[in-house]
Amino acid sequence: MKPRHVWTIAKKELRGIGNERTIVLAILLQVFIAMFSSFLVVGLTSLYDPSSLGGMSGGYAVGYAGTDSPLADLLEEKGDFEVYHMDLSEAVAALQERRLAAVVYVPDTPPDGIDPVKITLYTLKNDISASVTGVKIREAMEAYEVMLREARDDRLAAEPVDIAVPADAGGQSFFIFVYGLLVPLLLFMPAIISASLIIDFITEEYSTKTLDTLLSTPLTFTEILWGKVLAAWVLVPLQAGAWIVLLAANGIAIHNAPAILLHVSAASLVLILIGAIAALHYRERTSAQFVYSTALVAVLLAVLAIPGNPANLIVLLAAGSPAPLHGSALVGVLAGTAFLAIITDRYARRLAARAAQ
Amino acid sequence: MTAVLLVALLLASGLTAESGIRLQDGIYTVGTDDPAAAALLSGDPAFSVFLTDHAVLAQRPGAYDLVISGGRAWAARTEKGAAALSAFAVAYRNYRAGIYTGEEDLFAAYPLWIETVEVTSSLDFTATESGQIIAPKPQEGSDVRPSGPVEDLPTPSSTLAVSAEELRHDLAAAPAGNDGIARYLGMFSGGPDLGEFKTPSQLSPPLPFDSLIYIFVFIFPLYFTSQFAMMSIANERIERRGEILLSTPAGPLTIIAGKMLPYFLLMIAVCSAIVLITGGSFVVILPLVPVILFFLAAALLIGMTARSFRELSFLSIFFSTVMTSYLFFPSIFANVHVISLISPLTLVVLHFQGTGFTAADYLYATALFWLSTAVVLWLCARNFTEEQLFSQERLTSRLRSFIFAAMARDHPFASLVAVNLLAIPLIFMVQLMYLVLLFNLPLPWSLLALILLAAFTEEVAKSIGILALFRGIPGFFTWRTVLLAAVATGFGFLLGEKLLLFVMMAQVTGSLFGSVLFSGVGLLWMPFLLHTAGALIVGAVLKIGGRRAYLPGLLLATAVHASYNLILIGGAL
Repeated sequence: MKPRHVWTIAKKELRGIGNERTIVLAILLQVFIAMFSSFLVVGLTSLYDPSSLGGMSGGYAVGYAGTDSPLADLLEEKGDFEVYHMDLSEAVAALQERRLAAVVYVPDTPPDGIDPVKITLYTLKNDISASVTGVKIREAMEAYEVMLREARDDRLAAEPVDIAVPADAGGQSFFIFVYGLLVPLLLFMPAIISASLIIDFITEEYSTKTLDTLLSTPLTFTEILWGKVLAAWVLVPLQAGAWIVLLAANGIAIHNAPAILLHVSAASLVLILIGAIAALHYRERTSAQFVYSTALVAVLLAVLAIPGNPANLIVLLAAGSPAPLHGSALVGVLAGTAFLAIITDRYARRLAARAAQ
Repeated sequence: MTAVLLVALLLASGLTAESGIRLQDGIYTVGTDDPAAAALLSGDPAFSVFLTDHAVLAQRPGAYDLVISGGRAWAARTEKGAAALSAFAVAYRNYRAGIYTGEEDLFAAYPLWIETVEVTSSLDFTATESGQIIAPKPQEGSDVRPSGPVEDLPTPSSTLAVSAEELRHDLAAAPAGNDGIARYLGMFSGGPDLGEFKTPSQLSPPLPFDSLIYIFVFIFPLYFTSQFAMMSIANERIERRGEILLSTPAGPLTIIAGKMLPYFLLMIAVCSAIVLITGGSFVVILPLVPVILFFLAAALLIGMTARSFRELSFLSIFFSTVMTSYLFFPSIFANVHVISLISPLTLVVLHFQGTGFTAADYLYATALFWLSTAVVLWLCARNFTEEQLFSQERLTSRLRSFIFAAMARDHPFASLVAVNLLAIPLIFMVQLMYLVLLFNLPLPWSLLALILLAAFTEEVAKSIGILALFRGIPGFFTWRTVLLAAVATGFGFLLGEKLLLFVMMAQVTGSLFGSVLFSGVGLLWMPFLLHTAGALIVGAVLKIGGRRAYLPGLLLATAVHASYNLILIGGAL
């Protein structure tokens, strides 16, 4: 096998992609997703950090009906709400006219009674501010729950370990969404695209019957195959690298970028080889794509169930968390890749020999 | 082979169900000198816990994302530290909830229960959209009492309607806290039913990602099926098998209907199966039907335009990403904002939440899908001929020749009116997409971006008909015909716009954003002049500069259009 021949084929395939301008679509696609991640960032922060909407500064009016309780003071305590004592029907009518942000009704159940205190909370439907005020109302309710629980303390049997947690920062959903889901998803997308590309590269030669023409040149069948694998593979680190840069430009710092690229490249080669084997076996796009995508789902599910899988390691590396075993995991993936590569090579040789007969 | 794959798939999903998805294992590091705290966190794989003594912790304060010592949690001053802290708050809350749920006297552990009643306000969409926030604290001395009539409400009952044991069961099934990701994963295992009574910690704002699950469950099988539809069309073209079909007496519509029917039935069957599994009602299928039809129409168009399988793959990936976002992002705000109704998936979410939807909601959410499907299918049917199917042109020129072929050569101006009229549903879909993307940005920027993008889209859409004529009939354009074509374009566009607005868009157009997108419903001659001017600019530039001048002409038209809108909105800002 001559490296120069392999490279010739790789260049041919890459030029083919460039000519069709499909790569432009691929890039557009990625920019598109980048837009969405910024959309999500804004959407999420406004949902979870009420102050980003700027509406909480003045405080909201809350209607209070029923029996007096410490809840009224708890609502007013942080300056988020102004409490108005009014009649329930009147308060709900005011809520419908948007003069109030919410209405609470408190019954006359005694704080240390046997029965629970059942509060009725009236909120506005279909309103972005309702979810903002909802967070604050919940805080007041939780504080009131603690007070009531203390009043009924003597009836509790077990005592939980006490750890004081400082006021909630609320950043978890965003952080875990970006690093725990978005980053692995984005970084593995090029791998999945490349693996279905290799199927097209190979089945195309069969369906347009150009394989014989290619084989009449000094190129051998395995050289052609590895050239195609190479073409599909080089796109992966390029795209993944572009993602890392894009994310960084959006203010999402990715730690350990070189190690991440190594992991993505190694793992993507496994997917590409699976695609190549499927394409060699079926020589026809529909079946090969179907088998490949089913196999892909199975492989992904199985791999994700293993602690310390490549996706998990990428999450850890990207977030800057310690991933002590990532070196040996990489070696493991590389060994698996080498094994698959040998199988693919043998299979291709056998196919070539059979064709020559 | 299929059997082997299925077994492997089953085994793999069994494995995942057994061990969970190990994606975020060990993402947070916790240092503690408290064995009880370490034990508390040992069940949560997201934390890697280091149990050391106090001196070590004090020495290197920044070494861990979270430090628990002396009955207090300290977070590192990083974004990750904050995330670790809030993850810990959830874990700690769950731990306490676990202990309290086991209490003999449930109402001593959970003394407070809340019943939420949602009240519909008549003003919702426009009020929040124009930057007004509901119910800010009233000015000193002003009144919060209602101005309208007061309807008498019965006093809510002070007791819970369910027994303590049922509540305990619900509590055990639905741990407190708002750990979103755990909740989506929980939805697969028959999500916990929170019932109508909640403890304060269960009282969470609507979660943005619940709808993601519906997307995955309902939409992804549809993508796969529409992929097959695309491939079947493309196969016949690329391997030239379709010629035989075309030579039969069956017309293009018959062939298309026949080809699409099995996929349509398959998709309906898949959705029905999912409905049966998730235990929903079949009403859910209703909003999915237009989505399925739109997918099939798009599959047909993509199958008819792609030159190779490679191009087909990219087009289908691109299409599915765009559609996912169109369907998914609005439905995030299903409980929050009326804008979410532009996605039919919101109806699915609403239905699963038990809110349900009205016929008007249905019309509002699906009308564009029905109309666009009809337009795309008609375009494809007109072009389902041997000449069009087996040509090897580039993607853009294929699309252009598709549109040209759909026009009547003898009546170019009437065709221009028709093309622009029919393009309206598609343009509205694109513009609503912008609205979804941009309405969360800070106000001046979102408006500015919206104005530019909307103007560009409209100019592109209007120029397509003119370009098709320009390229299709060489020498057709004299100065007189350019003017006539521009007038026809402007007229068709305006007619379609107003018709559609009149039918369904009243809610969006009432808001500030709506007035940017669908400029000035009241005056008719101003937008007509504007649309005509845009088309005239493109036409004139094409006439002078030839096809190379198309892009500059387009940009010029966009600039004119955008500045008109800016001036119009200038009064509103």
